[in-house]
Amino acid sequence: MLLPTCRQLLLFFTSVMICIVLTGCWDSDEIDERAVVLAISIDKAVGEKEEIKIAHKGKMSDLADQPVIRLSAQIALPGRIPLGPETGGGGGSEQSPVWVVSVTGHTIDEAMLNLQQEVADEIFLGHLRVIVVSEEIARIGVNRFTDYLKRNPEIRRTAWMVVSKGKADRFMQMAPKLERVPALYLSTVLDDAIDLGKFPSDFIGKFWSILSSNAQDAFLPYLDIKNKENVQIKGLAYFKGNKMIGTTNPLEIGLFMGIIGEERGGYGTFVDSPEIDGFLLVRAMKRDAKIKTSLKNGRPHVRIILHYEAMISENEVDKNAKKPLNPKAINSVEGKFSKGVEKKVKQLIKKTQKDESDIYGFGDHFRAKHPEYWKSKVRKLEDWHEQYKNMTVQVDCKTNIRLVGMKSK
Amino acid sequence: MDTPKKITDIQTASIVISSIIGVGVLPLPLFAVRAGNTAAPIVTLIGIAISLFALFIITVLGMRHPNKTIFGYSEEILGKWLGRFCNIFVILFFALLTALGSREFGAVVTTAILRETPIEVTVLVMLLLAAITSRNDLNTFAYIHTFYLPVIISPVVIIVVLSLQNANALYLQPLLGNDIGDMFKGSLTIASLCQWSFVLTIIIPLMLNPKRAMRTGMTGLLIAGGILLMLVVASVAVFGAEETKKLLWPTLELARTTTLPGDLLQRMDVVFLTVWVTAVFTTLLSGYTFICHALSGLFRLRDHKIFSFSLLPIIFVLSMLPGNLLQMYKVIEFVGRFGLIVTIGYPCILLAIDLIRNKRGKRSAPTNM
Repeated sequence: MLLPTCRQLLLFFTSVMICIVLTGCWDSDEIDERAVVLAISIDKAVGEKEEIKIAHKGKMSDLADQPVIRLSAQIALPGRIPLGPETGGGGGSEQSPVWVVSVTGHTIDEAMLNLQQEVADEIFLGHLRVIVVSEEIARIGVNRFTDYLKRNPEIRRTAWMVVSKGKADRFMQMAPKLERVPALYLSTVLDDAIDLGKFPSDFIGKFWSILSSNAQDAFLPYLDIKNKENVQIKGLAYFKGNKMIGTTNPLEIGLFMGIIGEERGGYGTFVDSPEIDGFLLVRAMKRDAKIKTSLKNGRPHVRIILHYEAMISENEVDKNAKKPLNPKAINSVEGKFSKGVEKKVKQLIKKTQKDESDIYGFGDHFRAKHPEYWKSKVRKLEDWHEQYKNMTVQVDCKTNIRLVGMKSK
Repeated sequence: MDTPKKITDIQTASIVISSIIGVGVLPLPLFAVRAGNTAAPIVTLIGIAISLFALFIITVLGMRHPNKTIFGYSEEILGKWLGRFCNIFVILFFALLTALGSREFGAVVTTAILRETPIEVTVLVMLLLAAITSRNDLNTFAYIHTFYLPVIISPVVIIVVLSLQNANALYLQPLLGNDIGDMFKGSLTIASLCQWSFVLTIIIPLMLNPKRAMRTGMTGLLIAGGILLMLVVASVAVFGAEETKKLLWPTLELARTTTLPGDLLQRMDVVFLTVWVTAVFTTLLSGYTFICHALSGLFRLRDHKIFSFSLLPIIFVLSMLPGNLLQMYKVIEFVGRFGLIVTIGYPCILLAIDLIRNKRGKRSAPTNM
């Protein structure tokens, strides 16, 4: 008889199960069959848009209130992304390693669906590094973009979101010299700015956390392009709720970083010194900030104690200086630098108070340390804005200049 | 029992730790923050205290009957049929817990990693793995837990430590603040995540030294609780209470936000998920093994292997019952909190009756052995 034994049956069953269960092929995805999106830009769509109706038919009244966006995606071309450093004069350097596709849609996801309709390979967002939003769109509000980005498991929380002065898609088209892939250059600019103390750490995950908070307003880097190939950090785009409301100048980024206590200093300023009859360029090396909060007659009051560690990096009238650099002069420069910082910090805070944007997170200090006050006066971010407008500020700055570089006077 | 008694103290502690750390660590900070806002760490602490109490009760019971599992002594305390009747509920509850755990695992994998793979396949593979492994005896079971323990703990600790570079201490303040009722409800959910330590009830009789069960069990739970607390603190400190409420799996997001210094690894979620799959496996293995041994105890069988495969379809079907993800979490929270009656209430009653009977028993006759 050829009846299979129990053992043979079990063996057969097991091998069938192994074949079915251990294949693991459902998610196989060849790397060259993916459209790897490195960066996207979001602009307001202009003029008559040609729209393929994929996500919705006809009109949707709620969506119609929001402006249609134009999304440009920078897609890496397989095989043209240089691996490792470029060797000079190699062939094919004329070809761009990326391809930029633009589509329109009411939301990011609709635009993405439209994008997929135009791109053969499956869109992959796992390497998305930068999202550039035009100022125009940022001023209308960014909340409607965050939902898709947070929901999608491919998006990294360590990506960057930036606001561009003018059209955002210029950042997709730019041709930087230092790096062949524009998106990578852009993210390098931002990462290096953190290392150089030029910008606080503000990747998209952090931006989202602040955006969700009811005690702080978000901020993003405000960038511009120079000569089609150069990225310039123009300042800080600050938000009121989810809407961008204003910008600062680059020096104010330094002051802002001082207030929130970012340690590494990267900005400098001229201080005039009567003792040596000239101007000195003083660079901030290290910063430290303490924030003391109190309530004065029910009104929030903040005392900011700043401590700067600075160095003298240039003496502007070095050649015909009548008096050499001396300890006393340095002391007075320290004082003047501190006074200058105090004045400018107050100005900066006043400016953001007028715009009702608490990018420093003073609200968080009050929420954390004065819970009774917070519970009775504040429920939403809007309530805090009301309080914040009338907040009084006191700034005390102390500067130490310890180093003067490699010159004796 | 034929299985030799040789489960050591360290093995017992590892069983407790790696059973508790499992699928539940992903939504854990969400549960805590929902209940307590910035008081989430306190909520977690209360939850751990509740589980410590639960573990205390079952260990006292186990040490009073050092040669029997809960299925043995419950029949002795409550009488044969009432005991069996109650034990059916324990088994049903753990079947449900294991099913929901595997379903949650499937949901995470399908959402975050293998998006094309059908959820049924992920769940089935995990259950199959647990079923095959549960055919071993309890000593091997203890070895497996001990073996995987460092793999489970160390990456979690590393991620928590590294994530602190993005932390903001202000997000953790004020320490107290929410409604006490809400907080307690949240603590029950947290305690329900620690219910897997109930597996200790079948381990104690096989311990080399059952007298030390209390110390080792408590140590294990404290270590596991410490890790859970660290995860909650890190999530709240990095994301803030408001953002944590918006995230389905804050722990996973924590791993996604964290980078190894020096750009060695730009996202840690790959490492974390690999580890997490192991953690889920050990947890489900505990549940599955517990059910198998419980059933063999119930039916007075010597061998538990017969149940390992026959249970599979039942647990699989149970795991597929919840419709969508949000519904699944509603069910998990409900079943978890309800299960506290089984894992805390039931042992309490057993202990109370046992103590009363023992006092009387001393006076009358030493019938109970």
